[in-house]
This record gives sequence, C-alpha cells and structure tokens, in this order.
Amino acid sequence: MNGEVTSNQARSSAFVVSEKKRKIQKFKQKTGEGALLLIASFVAIVVLFIFLFVARDAIPFFQIRGFGEFFGSSNWYPADDPPEFGALAIIYGSVMVTAGSALLAVPMGVIASICLSDILPFSVRQYVKPVIEMLAAIPSVAFGFFALVVFAPLLQNHGGPILMWTWWIVAAPFLVIAVIVAAELLTSSITSESAKRNASIATGMVLGAISLGFLYFVGNQLQHITIMSGTNALNVSIILSFMALPTIVSVSEDALQAVGRELREGSYALGATRAETIVKTILPAASSGILAAVILGIMRALGETMVVWMASGNSSAIPDPFYNYLDSVRTLTATIAGDMGEADQVTGSARFHVLFAMGLLLLIVSFVSNLISERIVVRQRKILSGQ
Amino acid sequence: MNLGTRKLLDRSFTALGFGSIVIMGLALLVVLAPIASKGIGAIVFQGTIEHRKMLLSEFGRGDAEKISKEEASAKEARQKVFDMLATFDQELEQMDFDRQSKYRNSYEQVKSALRGLYGPLPGDTEPALMRFQYGQTRWDKAEEKLHELLYEQKWDYSNPDVIAKPYDVSRAAEFEGTSLVKLFSYVEENLDRMMLPEWTIYWGFITDSSIDAHFFGGIWPEIQGTIFLAIGAMLFAFPLGVIAAIYFTEYARDGFLTSMLRSANSTLAGVPSIVFGLFGLAFFINTMHVSHSKSVLAGSLTLAIMVLPTIIRAAEEAILAVPKTYKEASLSLGSTKWNTIVTVILPAALPGILTGGVISLGRAAGETAPIIFTAAVSVGTAIGIGDVLSSPTPALSWNIYNLASEHEAAAEIRHVQYGMVLSLVTIVLLLNLSAIILRARISKKLKG
Repeated sequence: MNGEVTSNQARSSAFVVSEKKRKIQKFKQKTGEGALLLIASFVAIVVLFIFLFVARDAIPFFQIRGFGEFFGSSNWYPADDPPEFGALAIIYGSVMVTAGSALLAVPMGVIASICLSDILPFSVRQYVKPVIEMLAAIPSVAFGFFALVVFAPLLQNHGGPILMWTWWIVAAPFLVIAVIVAAELLTSSITSESAKRNASIATGMVLGAISLGFLYFVGNQLQHITIMSGTNALNVSIILSFMALPTIVSVSEDALQAVGRELREGSYALGATRAETIVKTILPAASSGILAAVILGIMRALGETMVVWMASGNSSAIPDPFYNYLDSVRTLTATIAGDMGEADQVTGSARFHVLFAMGLLLLIVSFVSNLISERIVVRQRKILSGQ
Repeated sequence: MNLGTRKLLDRSFTALGFGSIVIMGLALLVVLAPIASKGIGAIVFQGTIEHRKMLLSEFGRGDAEKISKEEASAKEARQKVFDMLATFDQELEQMDFDRQSKYRNSYEQVKSALRGLYGPLPGDTEPALMRFQYGQTRWDKAEEKLHELLYEQKWDYSNPDVIAKPYDVSRAAEFEGTSLVKLFSYVEENLDRMMLPEWTIYWGFITDSSIDAHFFGGIWPEIQGTIFLAIGAMLFAFPLGVIAAIYFTEYARDGFLTSMLRSANSTLAGVPSIVFGLFGLAFFINTMHVSHSKSVLAGSLTLAIMVLPTIIRAAEEAILAVPKTYKEASLSLGSTKWNTIVTVILPAALPGILTGGVISLGRAAGETAPIIFTAAVSVGTAIGIGDVLSSPTPALSWNIYNLASEHEAAAEIRHVQYGMVLSLVTIVLLLNLSAIILRARISKKLKG
C-alpha cells in the first residue's frame, strides 16, 4: 500500500518536475530516511553499549577471582581482609523472593485477567483498568517505604494472627467448594435419587468435619508463629507480587483477547459453562501468551531494587531451612545498590567489579527471558492468525 | 457431574475472578491509604509555639508581635517546671551518694525528655545542631515526648522463649518522696498551655528548603530535583522516541534489521532498573565524563534511556491509530511523504503520543535505582538551573529511601518521610491520571 502510493507519486512528479530536481528530491528522501534509521537504531546501539560497558567492568572481577567463589560459596565479606565474594546466598535470595512473589502474583494475575477479558462487562472494565495502571505507576520507592514503615512492624507485632486470618479467608472457601464437589463425585454411582441425596449429605458432613479440623489445626499452628523481624522474604514477596500483578494482568489479558470469539462460541454451543469454556478451551489456546506474561512479571520482580533493598533485611545468608520465608534475605539488586556507595571509591578493585558482575548476571537473565517471551508471543500470533 | 455442581463451580469461578480483582483494588488502597492520611499530616497538623518561633526566626514568617506574646505566656507556664528542676537539683546535692545514684540516671532521662519538649533548658549551653535549639514543633510529637517523660520504658526478659516485650513504669512512682514528683502531674495537666497547639496549614513544607537534615522546613530541593531529572530525561527521550516511532511505523520494511531493532527495543524495556544505574555510572560518568561526578545531566541521560522504549511503543500505537484515509488524502493531494507525516499524521497522533510522554514523565520522576549512582545526593540545597550540567541534586525518590533507611533519627521524622512519599505519589499519579483522561478523550473522538 505504502510503496504503491510513493511510486505513484514519484511517477506523477516526474511529468511535472525536471529530471534534476527529481534526483535532488530522491536524494533528500534517501538521506532523510537514512537519518531516521540512524535515530531508530539508537535503541539497538544503547542495548549493545549496556552489554558492553557492564561486561567491561564485570570481566575484571572474574579475572581476579574466577568463577568458583562467586557461584559456589555463600561467604559474602567484601570489606574484610582478605575479602570473600561468595554470592550464592545473594543469588538464592533473589530467586527466593522472585519465586515467592510469582507464587502469589501468577495465580491472582491470571485469574484477574480472565475476569477482565471474559467475565466483567465492558462498563466495569473501564473502571478496573485505571486501577491496574495506577498500581503499575506507583513508584517502587513508595512500595518500599510502605513495606518498611507500615507492613514490617505490622508483621513483626501481629504476624501470627495475620497469617491465621489470611489462611482462613483464603482456604475456607476453597475447602467448602472442594467438599461439595467431592461429596457429589463420591456418590455419583448411586442410582436411587433419594438415597443419593442422603448419601451425599452424609459424606459432605464427614468431609466437612475433617476439613474444618484441618483448617483449625493449620490456623492454630500459624497463629503461634512469632516473626522475629518484619523485614523478611515474606514481606518483600507480598509487596513484589503487587508490583508484578499489573504486568501479568495486562499482558495475559492481551493474550486472552487474541483468542477469537469463534472458540468461545463453539464451546458455549456444546453446552459448556463459562468456567468450563475458559479453563478447557480459552486457557489452553492462550497458554503461550500467558506464559510470556508470567515471564515478564517475574522479571519485574527479579529486577526490582528499592523494595528489596528497604524491606528484605539484607542479610546475606541462606535461610535455615531453605524455604523459611520468615528469615531475612539479600538480593542481587539490593547488593548492587547498597554496596556501590562504599565500593565506588575504589574503582579497579574486585569489590567494585563484583557489583558489575552481579549486574551482568541480571542483564543476561533478563535478556534471555525477554527473548523467550518475545518468541512465544510471536509464535502465538502466528498460530492464531494462521488457523 | 450433575448440573447443580457444574453451576456451583461456574459461580465460584466467577467469584474467584471478582475476588482477585478486589484484592488488586485493596492492594492499591492499603498502600495508598496510610501514605495519604499520614502524608497530609506533614502539611496540616497542630503546630506548637515552637513551630511558629522556628518559622519566624528561620524563614521570617509570621506575626512577630503575636508570637512574642504567646512565647511569653508559654514561658510563664514553663517557668514553674524550671523552678521545680532547680529545687530538685538542690535536693539532689544534699542526698547521700547511694540515693543520688539511684535518681541520677532517671533524672537525666527526665531532663532530656523536657529538652525534647521545650528546647534547651535554662543553664544549658546553646546547642550546635538546629534540631536541639527548638522544642517540639508538632503537638502529636509533643504528646509522645510527654509519654516519654511520664513513663520509663523497660523490657520484660522474664520469658526466654519469646521476644522481650516493653512495658511502662511510672516515673512519678520512681520519684516518690522527692520534690520532683509534682512535676509530672503539672506537665501532664498544663502541656497545652506550655506548647500552645494550633491547627496549622504549613504550605512551606512544599516550598521551603530543609533545615538540619529535614528536622525542620520543607522538601523543595527534592521536588525541584525530581522535576529537573524527569524533564531532563524527557528532553532527550521524547524527540528520539517519536522519531524512532515514525521510522518504525512509516519507513521500516519487514526484514532482519527491523525485527532486530524491535527486539532491541523490548530488551531495553526489560533491563532491570539498577542495571541502568550501573550503565550510567560506567558509561556517562566513568567513560564519557559528561560531568566530573554525579550530576543532573548524567541522571537525566540514564533515565532517558530507561523510558525510551515506553515512549517509542506509545508513539507507535498512536501513529498506527491514525486512520489510513488521512494519510491517503494528503498523499493524493501531492504532498510528500515527510510533509504528510509532519502536517497530517503527527498532529492527529499528538494526543496519543503525549499520553505516552506523560506516563514516561511519571516513570522518570518515580524511579530511584538509575539515579543512585548517577545523580542523587542525600543532603543538599536546591540547585540553580545553571548547575544542572555539573552538580548532583537531591530527589524525592532517593531521599525517601535515605530518610527512611539511613537517617540517624529516621523514627523522629516519619512525618517528613510520609509527606515526601505523598508528594511523589501525587506527582506520579496526577501525571498518570491526566494520561488516562487524555486517552479516554481520544477514544471518544475516534469513535465519533
């Protein structure tokens, strides 16, 4: 379309304007286009430079200290003499808070995006979207401040009851539904209608009693947990999940929208309920796009600095036991931000370059996962448009 | 499964969806509510006579005559306390050593609590730090100091299995039998006469410079720094981003080069913000030497790179949303391609491009990690517009971190921190809100 218009135009101007003028005009156009290309490729140059300059300052560290210590040891004593640069605990801390936030944000984000694209009417959606955008817009340091000043004392002083109430509010509805469904499934083989109803009520009551006991038991256990420090991996994971949510919701909503009406209508026509349509038809069709959304959301959590710096406790040791989210941790980003103040006086030392090594690690991880998510999106678009 | 159960599952699925949307809204509310309610407390609060005194002598604001009258009446009320202290001083002199040492420690705490309330006591040398030259400027803080005066906090270590719990011991009981015992009830009953609280709206919090590391005064240097950095970033990023978007939408042909450039764009969007900071330090400061050390220029350049992908994407979308007929009409009238872009497409896409620009402006204002190594300092005065090329600046985002985590008396100046967070959040959300409204208008216009 574009090409047609320009060539037509060029041809028509050839009749009116002299050959020389036309050449000048063409030259102008070519140089202008070249200049535009140059500016557009600025982004690529910047990406190249970021890799180049971060790597340039990261490589001296590996030359001085090798790879073994950085990835194999968890002794982080950069200021000691002799210094130790074991970053294993710090890498693990990053993985831990990222996994924790993903655990919270992924199910919630995917379900919220389903709700946005398939359940909510358009008029309500208009009001929900700005909420998501605002959540995405709040500066990370404000989240960090909230985590440090409001949430951490709350967790420290009332951690047990908070955990217990959360458990009850989240788990109780699920168990109620599970009990009803299980009772119905267990008694489905009985043929007589009245016997079936009685049996299902009886099983329901037995299962209900068992699950109530389970709820109470776990809740009681949680209530008696004392949280030694409010600045811990749990706090950070929760706040990071708030920050990752908007990314996950908006990207996976796009993926869900890209699944056409035909699939939905076909499923409804076969008699499926809305939930069945979504779970069995739409989610599988949009799965790769949702995966891309999840990757982007996780990267957001992994790359976040201020929240983890302020509220993770910054202790560079692997929690004991390793899944203990109530322990303080330290992440790559927080280490870079926190140690640079002391290290940039001594440019050229391993202490300065180790921070760039961490930056390079983050950069590579984000680059690779970005490429993967991009490929996934492109492939999904091809599949959906091809069929 | 029978129909009833399937319906139930369907309903609970819907409920789950609503639930997660509600949780998201609640998350926003839970984070914003304390920030908003306590942040406003930095501007609207019950200011004491000390606050008015401080404003008069440091900023030359207020009615000098009225303040000196109030000061005299507060002084009169306080004089009785000072007299009691003097009496107890004499009493302490005459005690034997054991009793003296019993009271001495607690008496020093009483005195320091009183200093916190009134400023320097009679007979004290003039303190060097500004924060000790005035008493409590805020009534809520004065009440906290009063509690400190009336009760001594002790820790309960009796149960080794749990964390020690604090408990209060009344000082009046401690000083039972001495002349000091009257002081506690007197201060408790007459605190408002000594401090003269009055509802104050202190707009200076936004427009004043800080005094003595944010103990008094406002946050103007930080706000100004944030504005400089964000606008500086946009000066570089906005033209670049729009031109790149024009290239991508109007000139780029599908091919290896274009797909690589697009890939670079999304890679740049995914780079962790702290890595931008590292890059800014390594490239702009250590390699290019745009400034001797940290500077607004280096910070703006770093932020510009960070927001570039957002601007490009928003501008691309805006340009693609312009109806094709506009372009075709212009071309058919014989105008050149570039002319068409400048006179037809860009004006039509302008609101959309501006939306992206405004959102990026908010993002640049709110980011902390990229400016830690490149532009931000913790304490500083507002810099002039001429200094942006060479000198660093305080900025809201960085100073929130600094005051909350590294300030030596972080708990004393919570109200300043809340005020800063509220200012930053307000700036960012207002920018976003205007973007949302702008966009709603565009979509209405496009619908016709």
